[in-house]
Amino acid sequence: MGVVLARIDDRLIHGQVTVGWCQQLRPDRILLADNAIAADEWQSEIYRCSVPPSTAVSVMSIAESVAHLKSRAAGEERILVLTGSVFAMAELVRLGAPISVVNVGGLHFAAGKKELFPFVYLDPMDLRSLRRLLDLGAELRAQQVPGGRDFPLDLDHVQEMEARF
Amino acid sequence: MMAPGPGRAGNRAVGKADTMRGLVMTHGGIGRELVNVIAMIMGEVSGLTAMSNHGKSAQDITTEIKGWLAEEPGEHAVIFIDDYGGSCANAAQLACGPEPQAAILSGVNLAMLLGFVTWREGTEFPVLVRKLVDKGREAITTVGVR
Repeated sequence: MGVVLARIDDRLIHGQVTVGWCQQLRPDRILLADNAIAADEWQSEIYRCSVPPSTAVSVMSIAESVAHLKSRAAGEERILVLTGSVFAMAELVRLGAPISVVNVGGLHFAAGKKELFPFVYLDPMDLRSLRRLLDLGAELRAQQVPGGRDFPLDLDHVQEMEARF
Repeated sequence: MMAPGPGRAGNRAVGKADTMRGLVMTHGGIGRELVNVIAMIMGEVSGLTAMSNHGKSAQDITTEIKGWLAEEPGEHAVIFIDDYGGSCANAAQLACGPEPQAAILSGVNLAMLLGFVTWREGTEFPVLVRKLVDKGREAITTVGVR
């Protein structure tokens, strides 16, 4: 057991996660790793309340998340890890969270971002973080929902995207 | 900062608000079509707007709802969302803040919206909210089966 999915999704906890991935993977816990939300009890409560009671939700800072994921308790649960950015996921991996595969699940359009897939828009900072994840040995897969197509994402993709900026 | 795709085609707003406003914030084009159908049934009504989450990050959805709220700060309003616990629900709560001026009602359906445009004048806000929830629930039933 341990991490059953480590997903980057700028909508954080929403239908594709709670209905799509949770029905497929049956996690015991969703771990939302986000420094800003973890520091705000009201925002944390909104996300905790957005999940059916059968799945526990923890909202933790990046450092707390790493400590939890490395603990013995984490090994006894099925955990779905969520970050809202590539940078945050890269930080989790850099600090030693036991994550070997990263699901790039939803990064929406914003100013300065360019499309890699219809559900993945990236800017130069995202690309630097993807490179860091690859350097750290993580396998990257772009997939929005369980029934959707699963695209491997490698250094060639990153380099092609970098050339577009 | 809007996302590409069908949701970008524009928010469906009917008329200028001169009464309590409603926002139908949904996945895809559900909200736009509900507002269109309200206009088909009732004729043009004021202060009913549709927004879509299509192609938008949580932050952009939240910003868009905040912008709508800021058009009439401090006034009571109702935000209708399609599903509890999704991006629309989270963004609506984050946009409204811990002391909301708007009520957020999940599970929007046509009956709720018809109730809203019918009752919003002259009904105390907490009573209106209760009636809309009840109306929406009453509309979910079997038809023609006794």
